[in-house]
Amino acid sequence: MKKLTYFPGCSAHGTSEEFDSTLKLVLKTLDVELEDIPDWNCCGATSAHVMTENLALALPMRNLVLAEKLENTTMGIACASCYQRMKVTKVHMDENPELAKRINTTVVEEGTYKGTVDVKSMLQYAYEDIGLEIIKSKVTKPLTGLKVACYYGCLLTRPKNITKFDSPEYPVSMDQICEALGATATEFDYKTECCGASFSISNTEVVENLSGQILAMAKESGAHAIVVACPLCQSNLDMRQPDIEKKQGVKYDIPIFYFTQLMALAFGYPVDQLKFPKHIVAVEGALANIGKFQPVPEKVKKPIKAVEAESEDK
Amino acid sequence: MARVGVFVCFCGANIADYVDVPQVVEEVKRIKEVKFATEYKYMCSDPGQGMIRDAIIQYKLTSIVVAACSPRMHEKTFRKALSDAGMNPYLLEVANIREHSSWVHQKDKKAATNKAMDLCRMAVAKSIANEQLHEISVPVTKRALVIGGGIAGIQAALDIADARIPVVLVEKSPSIGGKMAQLDETFPTLDCAQCILTPKMVDVASHPYIELIPYAEVLELQGFVGNYKVKIKKKASYVNFKTCTGCGACWQKCPVKVPNEYNMGIDKRKAIYTPFPQAVPNKPVIDAENCTMLTKGKCGICKKVCLPGAIDYEMQDEIIEREIGAVVVATGYDMWDPTPYEEYGVGRFKDIITSLEFERMVSANGPTNGVPQRPSDGKVPKNVVFIKCVGSRDEAKGIEYCSKICCMYTTKHTILLHHKVHDSHAYVFYMDIRAAGKGYEEFVKKAQVDTGTTYLRGRVSKIYKKGDKLMVRGEDAQIGQVVEVEADLVVLATAVSAPKDNPELARLLGISYDKYGYLSEAHPKLRPVETAKAGIFLAGCTQAPKDIPETVSQASACAAKVCGLFSGDTMKKDPMVSTINNEYCSGCQNCVKVCPYGAIITDEVPVGHGIKDLRTVAKINEGVCQGCGSCVAICRSMAITLAGFTDPQIINEIVSI
Repeated sequence: MKKLTYFPGCSAHGTSEEFDSTLKLVLKTLDVELEDIPDWNCCGATSAHVMTENLALALPMRNLVLAEKLENTTMGIACASCYQRMKVTKVHMDENPELAKRINTTVVEEGTYKGTVDVKSMLQYAYEDIGLEIIKSKVTKPLTGLKVACYYGCLLTRPKNITKFDSPEYPVSMDQICEALGATATEFDYKTECCGASFSISNTEVVENLSGQILAMAKESGAHAIVVACPLCQSNLDMRQPDIEKKQGVKYDIPIFYFTQLMALAFGYPVDQLKFPKHIVAVEGALANIGKFQPVPEKVKKPIKAVEAESEDK
Repeated sequence: MARVGVFVCFCGANIADYVDVPQVVEEVKRIKEVKFATEYKYMCSDPGQGMIRDAIIQYKLTSIVVAACSPRMHEKTFRKALSDAGMNPYLLEVANIREHSSWVHQKDKKAATNKAMDLCRMAVAKSIANEQLHEISVPVTKRALVIGGGIAGIQAALDIADARIPVVLVEKSPSIGGKMAQLDETFPTLDCAQCILTPKMVDVASHPYIELIPYAEVLELQGFVGNYKVKIKKKASYVNFKTCTGCGACWQKCPVKVPNEYNMGIDKRKAIYTPFPQAVPNKPVIDAENCTMLTKGKCGICKKVCLPGAIDYEMQDEIIEREIGAVVVATGYDMWDPTPYEEYGVGRFKDIITSLEFERMVSANGPTNGVPQRPSDGKVPKNVVFIKCVGSRDEAKGIEYCSKICCMYTTKHTILLHHKVHDSHAYVFYMDIRAAGKGYEEFVKKAQVDTGTTYLRGRVSKIYKKGDKLMVRGEDAQIGQVVEVEADLVVLATAVSAPKDNPELARLLGISYDKYGYLSEAHPKLRPVETAKAGIFLAGCTQAPKDIPETVSQASACAAKVCGLFSGDTMKKDPMVSTINNEYCSGCQNCVKVCPYGAIITDEVPVGHGIKDLRTVAKINEGVCQGCGSCVAICRSMAITLAGFTDPQIINEIVSI
């Protein structure tokens, strides 16, 4: 059994509880044991790094130092914001030992930063450390027929020189994972656009505009559902969807899944373990497509898509 | 007793701000051999040189020290001043107190002054041991090599050949013409590129003084200015050019189709092909990678249909040698590959093309008969978005420099689009419009008015697909808003980049190149067509991005340089070369091994002392020797002396500080 250090972050216990619990189901099937960082703390997102550099680096550093006490070489992070803060801190510390020494004085009680633990998002961990072949081998109920638009958001692959994972503009790792599960990933050009992030509270209109465009493009691509790996993306696209529909006068009805929910589904876990009732947009309509899929030749496929999108837009 | 004159230069403020020049003068005056020392603001100016001339005569000086900039800059200037005063020019020593002191020690004037004084003391000490030297005459091979047959190479070859100097023109592809042959019309006059280029191509082929070697590469260059020897590989064309009539039966019947490089892969050519109908020479070659006869031994149709029997599947690469005196490098440029622009969907969307692809589409002899088409469905585009600076001026994804030609060719493209598709509309996203050149700004202004093109100042951040259209999202910085344009076709003005083979070529020729791969000129302002290696010149984009008028100017400048070099039967060369004292030479030949120029060979001389046998000694070809001194350092028996850097000179320098 493989072991992986786990940083759940605050959302795993609240808004993205379904991400956390399905992740644990999936990793059980994949024979990976999660070890929580003992006494972990807030990553600092999104307020610390606009206030002071010291705080923005010290908060993640404390987690990194604590993680080094476990024996694992990799830390997996579910939330994209937590991942971003942790990865940025790690890269800065590793590149600038002077800075590391200075920041370390703030969290001196926890120990000395050594830089021995690598930081990965759960998406990156699934793609690089587990691999498509193994994921494919665990599929018992392929998602054939389900068309998904994979939405990465702004943080998972950016900035390129920090994350060093997939493409910053047109990533494909989640698409490939979904394809490995039997689903069809649509050609979706908005996969790294901004969803509006934390403006959800302070300026909801911004989120409604931005997330609205993402939903529209996903619909146009022919997707039945959107797949995400970030709690904030999920909540914006899911929770704001009814308001967006009202505003635009369009019925989207696109459920927003965490990629781990689809993995668990394809791995054969019963639906009642996947926390679907937590979703605002009902999932049943989209999931009904599984198994219905009739392969069509590539050439015929495109015009059909265009017609579908048009008729529904009206 | 030596009588030394010392002249210390202020170099405006370059030296004087960081070195206490009067103190340096006072210090050197204390050396007993120094009979005259002075300072001046610009020693290299005419009054400065006059001071040297006057002092030589007035104080009967026997050697001169000028403390100024690097000898690479003005050594020749000051040597001439000595000559003018009737003194042997090699009695000059230059103390480099600018690059070696004032420029590098700007934070510490005292240390800089001390170092300047040390450098002057060394130069004075060395000059005391200076001897009169005389220029060497070397015979010259009056034949030039031109590498690359684009417009730069063509112009250089024609200009040199018109001066009745034989030229060997080597082109790597089957035809000369280069990138210009792919262009439709040229800015700012909209001359048809073919109409002005192809007559020159024909002139090259028929010129009695030009030997055109197409489909060939330079393998090796040996020797020195005026006396180079070049090895050229003629790639096997599998077609005997002497018997081929260029009738075209072979490429009409050839069953193998491959993407056509001339048309940027938009259409197909055959495996036996001429690059384009106006090719020079207009003889086909067989593309060995794709010909099924050469790869699998199956087919042979071209041989069957060739009435003159010109096809020869057994042909091998051939290596030929030529003796030449000068080289013009004109290897042109590559188009930058825009793949790093992932946000544009380059590679995913078929209807995003590069400017050179657009150029081929609007060309009368292009794959779409001059009417642009969307690669995805062949429809004629109505809304076309041109994006400038794709790769250029982009440190993150591309290259830092401005490619110089994109503003102008994009303007030209908007005009060509307007001419070919009357109801079309062009949008141009730009950073700046750089239209510096004769008639350029006027051309841009007129095009904007005539075509009604929408110019949007800002960068494009994303291109995505909506139905069969491409949505181009960018900033219009002048209204401070994000705009989206619905496009049928997007044309990327991709940067000009250095030919990828340039570093290898530079190593082979022994010249330098910059961080981008462009070949380096000897001086960015005053010697822009010469390389640091004597007798090798640069023409066109291989040195830096430039347009056709500039390329042609530089090519003609190269020709003038070559003609100047070949103006006498012999060439003068600095006398700083090594000589061997046979008495001391043990014939160990270590010097032969270390000489980077191949200037040392061996010779047989009588042993002497009444013994009749011969013994081996080293012998230096002073025409080839560049005076680097490697042989002097390696010689165990101290048999080698380098003129201008003799042991007494060097020892004097060391002792003086």
